[in-house]
Order: sequence, then structure tokens, then C-alpha cells
Amino acid sequence: MIDVALPAIVLFLLLNLVAGMIRVYRGPTLADRMLAALLFSTTTVASLLILAEWMAIPALRNVALLFVMLASILSLAFTGLPDRHDDEAGDS
Amino acid sequence: MTASEGLALLLLLAGSGFYFAGTVGLLRFPDAFCRLHALTKADNLGLCLICAGLAVLSADWRIASVLFLIWLLGLLAATVSAHLIARQARQAGADNIDPPEAS
Amino acid sequence: MLGIVLDLVIIASLIALAIQVVSGASLFRGIIHFIVMGLTLALAWARLGAPDLAMAEAAIGAGVTGALMMVAYRRLVEITPDHNPSRTGSRSRLALPIAVGAGGLVGLLGLGATLSDPEPGLAGLAVLEALQDEALGNPITGVLLLYRGLDTLLEIAVLLTAFLAAVAVTRREDLDYSITTRDPHTPLVGALLAIIVPLTVLVSVHLLKAGSHDPGGAFQAGAVLAACGVLLVLTSRVSASSQSRPLIGLGIVAGLISFSLIGLAAMLRGEPPMALPGMWAVYFIETAMMLSIALTLVLLFAGTESLRRNQHG
Repeated sequence: MIDVALPAIVLFLLLNLVAGMIRVYRGPTLADRMLAALLFSTTTVASLLILAEWMAIPALRNVALLFVMLASILSLAFTGLPDRHDDEAGDS
Repeated sequence: MTASEGLALLLLLAGSGFYFAGTVGLLRFPDAFCRLHALTKADNLGLCLICAGLAVLSADWRIASVLFLIWLLGLLAATVSAHLIARQARQAGADNIDPPEAS
Repeated sequence: MLGIVLDLVIIASLIALAIQVVSGASLFRGIIHFIVMGLTLALAWARLGAPDLAMAEAAIGAGVTGALMMVAYRRLVEITPDHNPSRTGSRSRLALPIAVGAGGLVGLLGLGATLSDPEPGLAGLAVLEALQDEALGNPITGVLLLYRGLDTLLEIAVLLTAFLAAVAVTRREDLDYSITTRDPHTPLVGALLAIIVPLTVLVSVHLLKAGSHDPGGAFQAGAVLAACGVLLVLTSRVSASSQSRPLIGLGIVAGLISFSLIGLAAMLRGEPPMALPGMWAVYFIETAMMLSIALTLVLLFAGTESLRRNQHG
């Protein structure tokens, strides 16, 4: 029972990720796209943790730890982006 | 199915429900600040429930403590990221539209 | 059954993401797609039972390349403020035939690999059996250091060459350009650093030590340590400097020099080159390589040859 449930939950999380890609595609602001990437990061962490249990590879928990530990680097780099692009304010 | 497996399954399902809620929020909420709420709150509760479910399933205190650490780091990352992104979005205002398609 | 569906979803999303990365109209969207592709790739490595690669993907993708692309995008917008940072220009007519041809080739190779007899090469089996007797429980670290020592050595040399090339093309005025985040002094960032920086050091040392019997090793540990350095550069705790420091220079070449010296010393004892004298040599070389990899990646990220510490009250 649980051996079927674990991959099913990973599949469900992955389908969530695929659906969330619509937000990355549509935007419209940089922040929206960044938010979607952060959501996918935690989704991947959860999937890796479940895979670690299901496939009995404990090292995958370390991979999840790395992702969650380094997730904030991306948002720090993102915050440095310039305020506006001069010639594209009108073409949304 | 033992009682602990049933409990773990319940927690895992509840966790994935929160992930689903986060995705729906990401897609349906009107602007970046609302989406921020949908994402950080639902997401971390989801991670919490999934970690709790897996901890019950593994029944090993070492694995449980690693999962707890991962959840704490997830909370920290979400807090900092939400703060930084909200700040960026506010300072950038509506001008910061990424061009949808190159004409 | 569910596993196959899962694999198919991962493969389909990887292909779709890869197409989006190179063909998306918006440059920033391409960057986000690249980041998400890194996440999906980690899942693919996990499904293939290769946690070592998933770890390297996590450390490099989440820690270094994502931030590098963000910083590069920002620089691009600042250099050419009047130019739309989106991709313009028409696609080459050769794009589709090349893509179809490359995809067909990959498919053919994959088909050949799955259809051929899964008879493992004799050398591979012999190596795995020989590694059982060694103190190294992780076959990947064992092969990298004991059997493919020269390859590993040359990889370190490649990294050093890349660094020297980057230094050679860095202009002095580029050093004045700051790559830090906008408000590096908000209290939240300080708290983040206070937790994450010691933790990354701890995790990288753990990965280095675990590398001898579990997934991990010098490259993964070095990448995590490099992510810590990237964090410090982004928050302007450390910044680029034109003044060369002997300690940094020593750190960059430490991996190459210690590996070559220990490897060549084997010839003095009458053994083949790159034969390692014992476990102490493995740990010594791995530690030196970790430091060199981390330092080189951070310096490449900062686009500089040296770093200095900034004081904050």
C-alpha cells in the first residue's frame, strides 16, 4: 500500500510543478517567475525526500538538504536585479 | 497496513494537499504579493507535513532529525526569500514587466 | 508501473524545459527555466540511483550557476540599458534539422544501449571486486582516485586553466563593478548568514568525510563550500580585490600540487605513477582538492583574482 502511495505522491508533486510552469511562462513580472522557481525548489525537496524513502537511498536526503540550504542564494542574487528596463515599460 | 503507516499516509496526503493549494494560489491569485502568501505559507506547511509523515514512516530518530533540520532550513529560506522578493517587487513596481514575447 | 510513469513525466519535462531554455523569447524566463531544469535533472539522477550526481547538481545548480546567471543578466541590462534584454533575431534555418538529427542520434544510442546484452565489461567487474578489498567503501571515489587518478588530476588542471584564462581577460575596471545584492545589511540577511555559513562549512566537511564510504567527495564538498563563498560575495561580506594574496594563490594550486607530488612520489618508491601510499593520502588529496575547487569557483564567480574581507560594524 505505502509502496504504491509514495511514487503516486511524487508523481502528484511533479504534476503540480508542471502546472506551475504556466506561471513562469506567463509572468508577468520578474518576481512572479522567481516565486514559481522557489515553489519548485521546495517541491523538488519534498519529492527527493519521498524518493529517498521509497528507493531506499538515504543519500538523497543529503541532496534535499543541499537544495533547501542553498535556496536563499538565488533570491539574494535576484534582489540585485535593476529596478526597471527603460524601453519595455509599455509592451506588457 | 499498520497504524503507523496509516498515520504516515494521512500526513503525506495532507502535505501534498498543501502543495496543491500552493500551486493553485500561484496560478489564480491576482498579483505577486498575494502569490507570495499562497506560496510561502502553504509550501512550508506542506513540507512540514511531508517531513512528519516520512519521519513516522522511517521510525528512526536520526532520519527524523535530518528531516526536522530540512524543514527548519526550508522555513528560513522561505522567510528570507519572501522578504527579499517582496522588497524587490515593491521597489520595482509595475515597471518591472519582463517582456512577454520579443516582437 | 508508477515508477515508469514518473520517469516518463521527468523525461518529458526535461525535454520541454530544455527547449524553453534555448528558445524562449525572454532572457529572464530562460534563466528560470534553466534553474527549474536543474531541479528536474536532480530528480532524474535520483531516479537513476546516482545520488553523487544529484548532489553535484544541487550544489552547483542551486549554489553557483543560478546566481551567476542572475548577476550576468543584471550586468547585461546595465551595460545596454537602451537595448531590450530579450532575444531578438530570427532563428537559423538549420536549427530544426540539427535538433531533429541530434535527438535522433541520442535516441538511437539509447535504443542500442537498452537492446544490447547487459554484459558488463570484464574490467569493470574486476575493478569493483578489487575495490572491495580497499578501505574506500564508495566505488566512485575509489575509481576516481585509485584507477583514474590521472583523469582526476587533469580535471583539477582544467579548472586551474579556466581560472587563469578568466583572470587574463578580466579588465581592471570590472573589479569596481559590484555584484552584491541590493540591501546586504538588512537584519534578515545577517541572520541568514549566521545560520547558513557555518552550516555549509559543516556540510562540506561531512560530504568530504562521507565521500570515502557514502555518496559525496571532494567535488561535491568543494561546490558546497563555493556556494558559501558565493553567498558571502553576494552579501558583500567579501569582495573583489586587485591585490594578490599568497594564501589565496596557495589555495588555488593546493589540489593540483599535492595530488601531483604524492602521485610522483610513488615513482621514487618504484611503484607506478599516481599510486597512493595509503588512506592518509586519499584524505589529504581530497581536502586539498576541495579547497582548490571551492576557491576557484568563488573567484570565477566574482570575476577576480583575489578577494578581500569587508568590515561591518
